[in-house]
Amino acid sequence: MFAKDSGLLQGTLELLVLKTLSWGPMHGYGIASWIESATGDVLRVEEGSLYPALYRMARKGWIRGEWGVSENNRRAKFYHLTAEGRRQFGEQSTGWQRLAAAVTEAIGSTQAPAWAR
Amino acid sequence: MSNSSPGGRRSRLFRGEPKAEVADELAFHLEERVREYVARGMDPDAARAAALERFGNLEGVREECAQMLHEDRRAEARRDWLDDLRQDLRFGVRSALRAPVFSLLAVLTLALGIGANAAVFGVVKSVLLDSLPYADAGRLVRVYAKFEKSGMDRSSVSPGTAADMARRLRSFSGVAAFNFGTMDVTYQGESGPRVIPGALVGGGFFSTLGVRAALGRTLTEADADAPVVMLSDAAWQREFGGDPHVVGRTLRVDGNPYEVVGVLPRGFVGPMGDAGIWFALDLPHYLRDPVGARDQHWLGIVGRLAPGVTLDAAQRELDRLAVDLAREYPKTDRGRTFVALPLRDAMVGDTRTPLLVLMASAALVLLITCANLAGALLSRTMSRRKEFAVRVAIGAGRGRLVRQLLTESALLALAGAAVGLLLAVLGLGALRKLALPVLPPYADLSLDTGAVLATLLAALCTGIAFGLAPALAAGRLEPQGTLREETRGSSEGRRSRQLRGVLVAAQIALSLSLLVGAGLLVRSLWAMTSAPLGFDPEGVLTARVELPSSAYPTPERRAAVFRELEERLAALPGVRGVASVTQVPSPTMSRNNLTIEGVTLRGDGPVFIPYMAVSDDYFRTARIRLRQGRTFGPEDTPEATPAIVVSETMARRYWPNGGAVGARIRVSPHTAERWGVVVGIVDDVRVDPALPAPEPMAYASGRQDFAWTGRDFLVRTDGDPLALVRPFQQALAAVDPSVPLRDPRTLASIVDERLAGRRLPMLLMTAFGVLALLLASVGVYAMFAAMAAAREQEFGVRVALGSTPGAIAGLVLRQGAVWMGVGLVGGAAGAVVVARLVSGLLYGVAPFDPVTLGVAVVALLACATVALLVPVRRATRVDPNMVLR
Repeated sequence: MFAKDSGLLQGTLELLVLKTLSWGPMHGYGIASWIESATGDVLRVEEGSLYPALYRMARKGWIRGEWGVSENNRRAKFYHLTAEGRRQFGEQSTGWQRLAAAVTEAIGSTQAPAWAR
Repeated sequence: MSNSSPGGRRSRLFRGEPKAEVADELAFHLEERVREYVARGMDPDAARAAALERFGNLEGVREECAQMLHEDRRAEARRDWLDDLRQDLRFGVRSALRAPVFSLLAVLTLALGIGANAAVFGVVKSVLLDSLPYADAGRLVRVYAKFEKSGMDRSSVSPGTAADMARRLRSFSGVAAFNFGTMDVTYQGESGPRVIPGALVGGGFFSTLGVRAALGRTLTEADADAPVVMLSDAAWQREFGGDPHVVGRTLRVDGNPYEVVGVLPRGFVGPMGDAGIWFALDLPHYLRDPVGARDQHWLGIVGRLAPGVTLDAAQRELDRLAVDLAREYPKTDRGRTFVALPLRDAMVGDTRTPLLVLMASAALVLLITCANLAGALLSRTMSRRKEFAVRVAIGAGRGRLVRQLLTESALLALAGAAVGLLLAVLGLGALRKLALPVLPPYADLSLDTGAVLATLLAALCTGIAFGLAPALAAGRLEPQGTLREETRGSSEGRRSRQLRGVLVAAQIALSLSLLVGAGLLVRSLWAMTSAPLGFDPEGVLTARVELPSSAYPTPERRAAVFRELEERLAALPGVRGVASVTQVPSPTMSRNNLTIEGVTLRGDGPVFIPYMAVSDDYFRTARIRLRQGRTFGPEDTPEATPAIVVSETMARRYWPNGGAVGARIRVSPHTAERWGVVVGIVDDVRVDPALPAPEPMAYASGRQDFAWTGRDFLVRTDGDPLALVRPFQQALAAVDPSVPLRDPRTLASIVDERLAGRRLPMLLMTAFGVLALLLASVGVYAMFAAMAAAREQEFGVRVALGSTPGAIAGLVLRQGAVWMGVGLVGGAAGAVVVARLVSGLLYGVAPFDPVTLGVAVVALLACATVALLVPVRRATRVDPNMVLR
């Protein structure tokens, strides 16, 4: 999943990263793990997509990375949301929810269109 | 903004390289993954392999991320740099405005230094760097004849030699002859006769130079004996109002009709100078003249080097040609060699050395300016060190502080450059009037974009040069010590005191060098002007009258008209004397071949000496004293033996044991057939006022040598010579209204013009020297003032303990005198260098002239003494009650 060049899925990955970081600062491995467990291992995060996405988001000013110490006392780069990142998260999650609701409603529809009658 | 976030700029200092940083990050990721797999029960090696496999293209991701990080960092650094610059500039302007007097003086000083450089550079650029108005001018060569024995190395060639060169030389793709100088011609304009400079050029002239006509065509080989002319752009505009149909029109020049075949492009000037009308040279006609073909030297030669031929190779071929011609024509072509010079060098002539000297002087002034401002800025840095200490203490980096100060000095320098360019434009305007007659004809004094850019670059370098030392001094400040010190009486550090001393010593050294150079030029100009000219140019009007051979075909007729005019002039009120000569004494007067009966002149080849035919009253009118024998009179009829008068130097050189009077010589056309006899010896005349030593000279009577079509008239008066121009014109009109009076001016102005080329570098260098002296005095003042201020407290203690004012003054003087001494010694060394530089411009004074050096040292010491009096006096008046409280 999350092939590198798919626009829709790339946006989804960024949204999920934003969501992850909305809990607090985290390193890349933690972000990947959280997304996988939070989606019940339905989504597998490819490292080849995750890290470029992180750097891209840093460039856009949504997140910022800083070196810190991990739970098991190793040096790791922790990402945290910037104010802009927080704003993006609010906007994008609302957008995603509306999209998801609309798609869900459409595919769950029981009313056949006129031409199918 | 980037630096408003937590962990702003400072934390960035501890970041690693983008590559390493990404690698670290990914390595952590892999380790965590391996741990996870191991925790699930894999053995470490398998876990590692699985982790790697899951990651996929590790290398690619690493590359991609590192690249992005690298770009981000670069953009960030650029933003920071611009932010800093903006901040520095704002701060610089503010701090300059806080000390308006200092800033104003600094900008003014810089403006003088930079302005002097820009103005001189404007001249240097237009003369030495701007392109000549010819195609591929770097391949063009001027060829001169060199007569070793007469000391003439930029001489003309005969028609025969010119033809031989065109025929035989293989080193050139084109060789063209032209009349060595320009001559004035009379053009019959609509409003009466007009005198225009004309040039006479051989067929290949324009094709060799690679110049095309702006209108019509250029003159070619086929025009040799055709009555056709070209016009210069200026003459076309002035005389024909830029008429686009001028080609084909007919002009009357000196009574003869000529058809206009073309107009030259704007900006074109010939190697012989600027001319309005260009005539075709009929070389074959002159080659037919049995005597003149090889015996009369009046042609200049310009050639274009053939592809692949070097100047040296061309010179070697010319050397061989000289040998061949000497063998073929031993009578006329012996003792002469050829010199090939790049055309630019030939046209720049002897202005190169003065220009380079001036450029070096201007650069010295700029260096002094730098040293001066560095000293001033150092004082200002010292007085601002509390400010810097506070800034360092609250976190400003030293590099940042140095950069801030450099921005401030660069800002001052650029402001100085702006004012300096203004001064330079004004200065060039003044120079244009003074210098144009002595500069090559193509030089157009102006500041173009290149010169402005060069000036701004020089200004920036200046700003950094004078800002660097004070900035570094500020960067070394110890904030703790500085902040803890008492507000008052904190004495200057040893290092900055030494720096200040070195700066003052440098200023003194440079000023002394400049002053010595200027002094040498003053002395040599003095030597030129104070040596007697041999004639009295004051109160004499000169003007030329040319009688066209079309209207006055015989020499006798012309002589009669000249005599009539002379009589009319003598009858004018206020006229004390009238004379006519073939040409007024000048450095460019023509020289004739000298032969003395029974004497073989030393060495090989012909001897040329300045020669003129004069009317009876010439010696009386010019006030040249007779030494021996007689001058000319009515007895010297055309039928009588040709009478010759020689100058004293000539008599001494060729008849060292006396016996000049009565000797038989040949020196002019009318002595070609029969010997002339020396009848008298007159005082020497310096035909070149810029050369203190007179040349030998010979005179003939205008009654006997009267074939010439033109004469220069000399009219002596008690009043203003120029007031005679109008009466002169009326007298001429009474004789023949169609003949114009050419080039009326005072004899004194002719002498003066020749000296202008010497006076200008002297004046400018003296001005630079005075400027340097002023700057150095200010520097000395500042050094003593700072020293006295720094030791005020100490002096207070000394006075309180009983020191006398004299002892205090001694203390200050001793401290400063060391540096002044160092400066003087350095200056003496610099003077040696400068003397060598100007030695080519010196006459009558040795390059190592103790008088000049002594005067310069005394002048410098006197100014320095005045400058140091005030601060030293202030030091002796320290009131212990005030400073120690």
